[in-house]
Amino acid sequence: MGGERSLACGRGIGLNGPQTLGNSAFFWVVWAIGLALMIALPLLASRYQIINASNILISSILAMSLCLIWGYGGILSLGQASFYCIGGYAYGIAGINLIQSSGNTELAILAGIIVPVGFAAVLGAMMFYSRLQGVYVAILTLVVSLLLGLFMRQTADPFYAIGKAAFGGMNGLKPAGAGDPGVPPLTFRFAEYSWVFDGRGIGFYWLTLAIVVLVYLGLRWLVNSSFGYKLIACREDLDRTETMGYDIRLIQLTVFCLSAAIAGLSGALYTAWGAYIHPDGFSVAPNILVVIWVVVGGRKDLTSVVISTMLLSWIALELAPYGEVSLLIQGLILVVAMLIAPDGIVAQFGAFIGRMIARKPRIAPNSWKEKIA
Amino acid sequence: MKSVEQTREGKVSILEVRDVRKYYGGIHALDGLSMDIKKGEVHCVLGPNGAGKSTFFKTLIGTERPTSGRIIYNGADITRLPAFRRVGLGLSVKFQNLRLFGDLTVGQNLFIALRRTHRVADIAEQTEVLLSRIHLLGAENRLMRQLSHGEQQRVAIAMSLATQPQLILLDEPTAGLSVEETRLVADIIANVNRHGVTVVVIEHDMDFIRSLNGHVSVLHYGRLFAQGSFDEIAANDDVRRIYLGAA
Ligand SMILES: Nc1ncnc2c1ncn2[C@@H]1O[C@H](COP(=O)(O)OP(=O)(O)OP(=O)(O)O)[C@@H](O)[C@H]1O
Ligand SMILES: [Mg+2]
Repeated sequence: MGGERSLACGRGIGLNGPQTLGNSAFFWVVWAIGLALMIALPLLASRYQIINASNILISSILAMSLCLIWGYGGILSLGQASFYCIGGYAYGIAGINLIQSSGNTELAILAGIIVPVGFAAVLGAMMFYSRLQGVYVAILTLVVSLLLGLFMRQTADPFYAIGKAAFGGMNGLKPAGAGDPGVPPLTFRFAEYSWVFDGRGIGFYWLTLAIVVLVYLGLRWLVNSSFGYKLIACREDLDRTETMGYDIRLIQLTVFCLSAAIAGLSGALYTAWGAYIHPDGFSVAPNILVVIWVVVGGRKDLTSVVISTMLLSWIALELAPYGEVSLLIQGLILVVAMLIAPDGIVAQFGAFIGRMIARKPRIAPNSWKEKIA
Repeated sequence: MKSVEQTREGKVSILEVRDVRKYYGGIHALDGLSMDIKKGEVHCVLGPNGAGKSTFFKTLIGTERPTSGRIIYNGADITRLPAFRRVGLGLSVKFQNLRLFGDLTVGQNLFIALRRTHRVADIAEQTEVLLSRIHLLGAENRLMRQLSHGEQQRVAIAMSLATQPQLILLDEPTAGLSVEETRLVADIIANVNRHGVTVVVIEHDMDFIRSLNGHVSVLHYGRLFAQGSFDEIAANDDVRRIYLGAA
């Protein structure tokens, strides 16, 4: 992060810029090593660990969706897990209905993205065009999530079905009839070839990792673009941003929909991973859990959020066998993290490393230019 | 200066304010204010603390909706138009409390202000132009909140110029500025005005108002109390009385 200072001052170029921590060659080298290790993980870890790692990757996509809307856009959504669930149900319902006729899940994944975006567009238009802000948006998104959860819990009756997919109430999505298929794994078909990514497989892990990388790089580009500046302006001062001529309602609606798309994608992956989706994701705890991942990492930086989500999810898994004590320990980690690093533990650590490297005595900053000349 | 006032009558109004009220509960910040701003003029608004001057600007730019009354800009009723549309029509504001993006650099602040009306490729050059106008060349990479108050005030003025406005509203642009800085601001105002931009300025500094040589309106209890040339206002006993009584 040596070049951090100079870049942080100017405008962003592509993936680097002042809106993200870590823009130097050093950062990207460390980043590439980290990625290589994660690609190599199946060689080092057990199958059981890989299955869990896949789920952790899916969580980090969900966390990035909240980082975008809250950390960069300044809109605290407490219903982020609901978009994840809507995406999950949409994938499952479309998948169950289409897998036999089409033999692939492309449309199901698309449904997992588009259906939550549709929800977000309606909810967001109502909120932002009536200029709802701050805590009102937080409460409304949470209430909508809880209502959706209430509805989905009472859908055990076979009446609640779309085609071959029954909602299944508390027990989650299932085939409507005896002969109907279950939630299909990710299946892609091209000409006579077809690839199936089963949630328990290494292929699924790699595919999810690729999606995490794409979403991460895409968002880094976005937040360092002109749109990213408008987002940050909205986060800092909505009225001031509007009095520079920006339609803040449209900016907020756009980012709300985009974040729902990303959350929906991660929900679709989750359903494909476990071949299962149930209404618990609509309740308070999962919605708050996403907020915790983001807060502990540092909500204003994408990289920090991804790292903290992975670490916290991993810790939660390790502690799972201890039951109630595990929750207590996780809670303790949170409180301590927030006390010592209110801007996020990972972000503050990253900034610290950046400062250490910048302080290191260097050769005259433009000596490399002379070498070239 | 008489001539300024005489020719003023015949000029077109860029802004017509008609019986505007803004009530905050029992507080009548604006209480039936009517005023005309003429195209191309420099118009000073003064009045004791709490007279409603800042509230007046907020209803003009659209961050506050008036309780009643009408605001007409270039002949069109903009009373119900959202702020960003008014800015699109050519209005621009510098708030009294600046409202800069403190955690961003000067360059990034200007980038946000410039981006709507400029291509990314042109922004570096425009930034230079604006910074040289406020005598802050080279300050691009400094963090906004580390600037002195006077410097922040100047950047705030530059940001209100960045959107290429037709009518610019400056709420106390010389507050906290040194004598030289105040002179600089007077030059900037004269300069943009020479290019046809209408400027409305809220001010307390009498020397500064005199140097602007424009039309003067006095607000008191949310109403237009007096108006005229600077000399007429300076000689007005009632204006002196409200200033001494309320200040
Ligand atoms: N958001 C608000 N809520 C309640 N009262 C307000 C609000 N904004 C302004 N007021 C009140 O309206 C009146 C006019 O305020 P305003 O800021 O317009 O005065 P001003 O003429 O700009 O004063 P100053 O010279 O001190 O800047 C004051 O009494 C103020 O307390
Ligand atoms: Mg004021």
